[in-house]
Amino acid sequence: MMPTIRMNDVKTHRKRDIFVEGPIDPAFIAASIAKHATRTDIGSHEIFLGQVRADVIDGRTVEAIEYSTYRDMALERMTAIREEAFTKWPGMTCLHVHHSLGTIKAGELCFMVFASAPHRHSAREAVAWVVDRIKADLPIFGKEIVEGGGHIWKRNT
Amino acid sequence: MKVLLFGLIAERAGTPTLELSAASTNELKVRLAEHIEGLAALTYAIAVDHRMVIGNMPLNGHEEVAVLPPFAGG
Repeated sequence: MMPTIRMNDVKTHRKRDIFVEGPIDPAFIAASIAKHATRTDIGSHEIFLGQVRADVIDGRTVEAIEYSTYRDMALERMTAIREEAFTKWPGMTCLHVHHSLGTIKAGELCFMVFASAPHRHSAREAVAWVVDRIKADLPIFGKEIVEGGGHIWKRNT
Repeated sequence: MKVLLFGLIAERAGTPTLELSAASTNELKVRLAEHIEGLAALTYAIAVDHRMVIGNMPLNGHEEVAVLPPFAGG
């Protein structure tokens, strides 16, 4: 009898596209969670969601952020981050990342990092680490559109 | 070489690409400043073949060169 190969045993990290046009639909997140129901070795899901905040800059409220990226470099960097994450947390079962491009209104979701693992610690630590790495290392650019029509280029601090 | 511009840098240049020749990233910065008004006052980094350049680096003209303003993902 052939041994059963579990998904977790084959960790090949092809360059996958994390980018989605427009906001991340909460229904998509719910469906992502539901897809893991068959993976009964998972005991913990950890999800970070980024939402566009209506910051007030010089008295003008941010209405939306228009995201763009240097896609090839971003996906290459993301593959490296993913590989490093699975090296640091080998017990992690899976890791899903999505980031919006285009215009995302205040209150809409623009970023999701979703890790699952048998136990909570690795999923939680991995998500926090991956979120920070993506913010620091991925060439993603954000134009904050303010009320009245102007814009300000966002920068992560 | 074709130089890719992004975000604020592309906006200031009025184009997403520039055709420039430079033998190093330091020389490229001089060429960029000639084409993009006010570049000296902006924060940006140069990426060569998807890697951020620290200091100066020679260029042979066959690399993929990009000018990147501060990142804002998340």
